[in-house]
Amino acid sequence: MATDTPAPSPSSPSSESTQPSGRLEQSNPDYDPNIVIEAQNLTKVYRDFWGRQKVRALNALDLEVRKGEIFGLLGPNGSGKSTTIKLLLGLLFPTGGRAVVLGKNATDVAKNERIGYLPEESYLYKFLNAEETLDFYGRLFDIPAKIRKERVQELIQLVGLEKAKRRQLREYSKGMTRRIGLAQALINDPELILLDEPTSGLDPLGTRDMKDMILKLRDQGKTIVMCSHLLADVEDVCDRIAILFQGDLKEMGRVDSLLKVSGETQITAENLPDSAHEEIRQVIAKHGGQNIVVDNPRTTLEDLFLNIVRESEERPGMRPVTSTDGDADSGTPTSEESN
Amino acid sequence: MYVESFPQFSEWFLPGLMLFLAVLLSGAALGLFFGYLVAAFRHGPFEAFYVVAQVAAEAVPDFLKTSPRRVVAMARLAIKEAMRRRVVLVTFAIFALMVLFGSWFMGGGSDKPEQIYVNFVLWGTQMLVLLMGLLLSAFSLPDDIKNKTIYTVVTKPVRSTEIVLGRMLGFATVGTLLLILMGLISYFFVWRSLDHSHELLGDSQTIAAFTAVDTETQRSTVTGKRVSQNALYEGATTVDNDHSHRLEIISDVREADSPALESDDIIRTIKREDGKIEYQRVMCLPVGNHTHAVTVTGQGDDAQITLGNSVGYFRARVPIYSSELTFYNREGVASNKGTNVGKESKRRGYIDGGSANNRSTLSRATFRFKDVRESRFPDLDFVPIDLTLGVYRSYKGDIEKRVIAGLQFESIPDKPDVENKFISEIIEFETNEFAVQTLPVPKKIVGRIVAPDGSLVEEGAYDLFDDFAGGNGKLMVILSCRDINQYIGVGRSDAYLRGNDQAYWWNFLKGYIGIWCQLMIMIALGVALSTFLGSPLVMLSAVAVMFVGFNSRFIRKLAGVDDQGNLINEQGGGPLESFVRVVTQQNTMVELDTGFFDTIIEKLDYLLVSMLQMLTYLAPNFGQLNFSNYLVHGYAVDNNQLLMAIAITIAFIFGLTLLGYFCLKTREIAK
Repeated sequence: MATDTPAPSPSSPSSESTQPSGRLEQSNPDYDPNIVIEAQNLTKVYRDFWGRQKVRALNALDLEVRKGEIFGLLGPNGSGKSTTIKLLLGLLFPTGGRAVVLGKNATDVAKNERIGYLPEESYLYKFLNAEETLDFYGRLFDIPAKIRKERVQELIQLVGLEKAKRRQLREYSKGMTRRIGLAQALINDPELILLDEPTSGLDPLGTRDMKDMILKLRDQGKTIVMCSHLLADVEDVCDRIAILFQGDLKEMGRVDSLLKVSGETQITAENLPDSAHEEIRQVIAKHGGQNIVVDNPRTTLEDLFLNIVRESEERPGMRPVTSTDGDADSGTPTSEESN
Repeated sequence: MYVESFPQFSEWFLPGLMLFLAVLLSGAALGLFFGYLVAAFRHGPFEAFYVVAQVAAEAVPDFLKTSPRRVVAMARLAIKEAMRRRVVLVTFAIFALMVLFGSWFMGGGSDKPEQIYVNFVLWGTQMLVLLMGLLLSAFSLPDDIKNKTIYTVVTKPVRSTEIVLGRMLGFATVGTLLLILMGLISYFFVWRSLDHSHELLGDSQTIAAFTAVDTETQRSTVTGKRVSQNALYEGATTVDNDHSHRLEIISDVREADSPALESDDIIRTIKREDGKIEYQRVMCLPVGNHTHAVTVTGQGDDAQITLGNSVGYFRARVPIYSSELTFYNREGVASNKGTNVGKESKRRGYIDGGSANNRSTLSRATFRFKDVRESRFPDLDFVPIDLTLGVYRSYKGDIEKRVIAGLQFESIPDKPDVENKFISEIIEFETNEFAVQTLPVPKKIVGRIVAPDGSLVEEGAYDLFDDFAGGNGKLMVILSCRDINQYIGVGRSDAYLRGNDQAYWWNFLKGYIGIWCQLMIMIALGVALSTFLGSPLVMLSAVAVMFVGFNSRFIRKLAGVDDQGNLINEQGGGPLESFVRVVTQQNTMVELDTGFFDTIIEKLDYLLVSMLQMLTYLAPNFGQLNFSNYLVHGYAVDNNQLLMAIAITIAFIFGLTLLGYFCLKTREIAK
């Protein structure tokens, strides 16, 4: 993706990228409402029954999440992402350090009034139906009954479960369960939403819907923290990310800054005839450019898939398949071929 | 059945509250200590102080800020879970099967079918609801934690108190509703099963169905068995509910100037030559604890005799026990135990009826009653006295002839030196040694007034309440044996005045309240244990606690320690000393000879039995909450006992809620 701002050179310091931050500055004792989550030296060590150290799941993590951003926690399996989320929610107690969420200690129950949580597998009560599920969680908040009832119906509409709202959750598919899980995370219209592997197990359509939802929530002013090992999904939605590996913070910063490849320039243009390619090569070579590639850009597989699905919904029936076996560069079929 | 007397609730409450607070504080101190040890292990000794202090400090706002709305929300969830898991449905189905088909296997000719039926429904209900309560509470939270559904709950603003209380409230609601349903069905089942009637056995329902008895020997001309005194004719009823009754027509002779007897069971009224009036009455002899009212329509040979529905099954007797029982031997010397007739009964003392050489005996048993007021008794012209007497025969004689006993009444003046005393005549009666027999003592008794020096003041008929117990409400009842060379055994619980019976339905309800108390404790225990144990361990622990609870009296007896801290069972010492004696082959009659270790063994034994004793206080005394025996044997549950049961239940629920809260609060849910 092209950007107008110059990429910082590897040698220039960036306040937010490249080197893992050491100990953060001492927190201002006065709560800063712009800092939604603050972790200082957060450590979690799992011990066995006899107190011997088994696993160091998180090692002195320092991070901040600001209001209104989508923050991604990345890392392979076992890197400490879920542990971090659980520490922030109070599901685990830190071995060292502290975590402050919305100005309160992570173990303070009162902070939960303003947060929503979508667990990895949408752990919900299978013997309840969708309406009962949302009603139950709604009752746990200080929401007047009338407003709660309205909100339940709104959320069911929002996640597209209107037709299945009276069925018990044990009969739901994976995608439906994730949707009702998201609905329960939003029942209290939270300021901060924590999503643990939100797109895990979803098909491309469901994944797109989930990502659109996340972006919409951000646009409403909410702060989202999501952890995932699906890099493409994180890249699409997150503003800032932190990369964990074996309990250590390896990288943190803005996505666009981190992904920017300095030293290379990308130019895209529409309606450029093939005859202009050689002229462009020459201009670039004249200015000392190397490894010149002039070619059509690639769309993403996700966009291709979604386009085909959208077209199929609009025009049901057989769709001519454009053969691209012999032409590696042809990319998307032309409009003539697809008609 | 021996019915204990209970202190007044108001007398029991304060010491009970002190004991509860002492146990609570001890538990809290112990909990803090163990909590500190665990925290020190994890965080180090200094940090541990802060950790423990933080947990303790957060407890107060957690409890104060517990939201009833959230508790109810959690309770609703628990109710839905209980219903949709079908535990309740299966429990009720099993109960329904038991009730539908149980009666096929019951009765069987027993003369006390009400005990069998009532015991059956109470036992069945108790076992089923306790098991259901245990299953619900043992699996709910552990499943939530295992399936991680609790993540979506604890990440809402829900406190640990609300989770614990919500679960308890939800399962308690389900259990209570089921118990009410089972109680109603049980009551109906028992009533329907026992309610029956009979007809006369014979071709007609008249006197023709009776045969004359041999009035000289007082024996049946058909069976040769003894009949009642004054019996003229005998008959029998049809067999219904696996039994039949013997019927007798007895002669009830009254003075000519006495008021006319009005009764539905009179079949003939004859004016005798001596001017007395003879009423021939049809009596239905009891089988077990019940009989039937007889109604005679008409008079003479054509009078129709019908039997009503059963009477005597659904009773809730209110026994008024004596405050003191004293035995006197044949020389008139007082003791607590009575004559020794060997190992007949631990509970009873025996009084003898004299011998052929010495017919006059001063042997008797005296019962002293307090607060004998007319308002406490039924509005009848007699006062019922229930007796359950044992008989020891020193010679067999006529085995069918019952031993004759005598009852006499005396007043107990506060100042015997200056006040006169009322003494009644001796009322003789036949003992019925295998059942509770009710003697109707007339309110007006023939007797005499005696001066402090023993001289006769007056003779006549005197009122039991106004004269004998008048003034101070005290009354002495004297039991004697009227047959020579025979002995009558009695204990304090074997003789009581029968106060106004309580309503049976209210007594039945009290029995179910007892079951409800047990259920509430079981649910609270299951929920509390499930905050830190897995389901199988919760089941095991709860069953163990239940076992200790049902046998706590025995265990306390086993762990008997007196106020000075010495073992009550002095012979052989405690468990450790007994073990040493077994190994070293030292008998229990000699002092333990292990030298220096004697003291250590003694102290360790004291510690062990103290811990055992403390354990019995920690476990709920289910025996104290179980009123089944009262219902089965037809005694009223004392209201003080009921209040105590409810107070004990509340105390345990409170303590278990605290335990559950702290365990859940300090637990890492996601670990």
